[in-house]
Amino acid sequence: MKLDNDLTQDAELAGKLEEAEDVRRAIIHGEVDAFVIGEDNNRRVMLLANAYQRYRQVVERMAQGAITVNERGNILYANQRLAEMLSMPLARLYTAPIDTYVELNDRARLASFLLLSSRDSTIEVNLVRGDRAPLPVRLSLATLTDGYSTLLITDLRPMQWPSLTVDALDAIRDTVEKLNQRLSGDAEARESLASISEQINGLARMIDEMLDVENPGTKRTSSA
Amino acid sequence: MSNPERWDLRLYTAGQSPKSLAALSNLKRICDKHLPGRYTIEVIDLMKNPRLAKDDEIVAIPTLVRKLPAPLRKIIGDLSDEERALVGLQLRPHRNGGQK
Repeated sequence: MKLDNDLTQDAELAGKLEEAEDVRRAIIHGEVDAFVIGEDNNRRVMLLANAYQRYRQVVERMAQGAITVNERGNILYANQRLAEMLSMPLARLYTAPIDTYVELNDRARLASFLLLSSRDSTIEVNLVRGDRAPLPVRLSLATLTDGYSTLLITDLRPMQWPSLTVDALDAIRDTVEKLNQRLSGDAEARESLASISEQINGLARMIDEMLDVENPGTKRTSSA
Repeated sequence: MSNPERWDLRLYTAGQSPKSLAALSNLKRICDKHLPGRYTIEVIDLMKNPRLAKDDEIVAIPTLVRKLPAPLRKIIGDLSDEERALVGLQLRPHRNGGQK
């Protein structure tokens, strides 16, 4: 029994020694660029290049999708925003060919773009979301390093917020109108409601102006 | 070489760090070449959740862990040395003869 335990311990020690030697070798050959420091729940990753850390924070927080592919178009990195745009778990994007998420008709154009384009070039294609719905996007080639291409991805769908805001304002308007009818005998209440209506109309005009800048001639709101 | 079983591989990365990108690219190439159609790669980004390093006691990044077939194996580094990666994965005999 003791012999068995000794053999098990020897095997564990040999494994740990082998791993330590592998870490040492990888460091000497420059094959690692980050370390996990701390223990238990206090672990954190220490990157060898601080500049990269700042870059990464920008990529993770920006409103655009970002993706890095190798020379064969396999996804090596994607930010959370892209996963949201595609309605796809982030983990499923890794190593998948980028083609998987591009409409069939756009694949050849994208392949040639990745092969031939220089930094800051752009292309517009339709991506395919998890629910198979097309997602029109603009891809901008941000960096080209060591055969890897990093692309920034901008959603080209019309913004959703104006129509949602208009809907919300319309709902408020309806409520104000109902209150107006119920409180017809209360002068003070009617004055307050008139003030609210004025505020709503002000907001509606602001939205109209913003929409007009983006799409001249498009008016989407009405006054109370 | 006859390895009919599924290979479950887990790669620990640090976001988009150069060595992490290189490791994933190299791993994909190696798997497509030597394990076509019978491998899965799970990427664990420790920048997002460093606590997951505990599971496989990861200290350096990138690190590849072969979960299946057993026994568990770890290969540290960007897998740029394909020969070494193959030996580490036990897809190729160790250079000095026997299996490592």
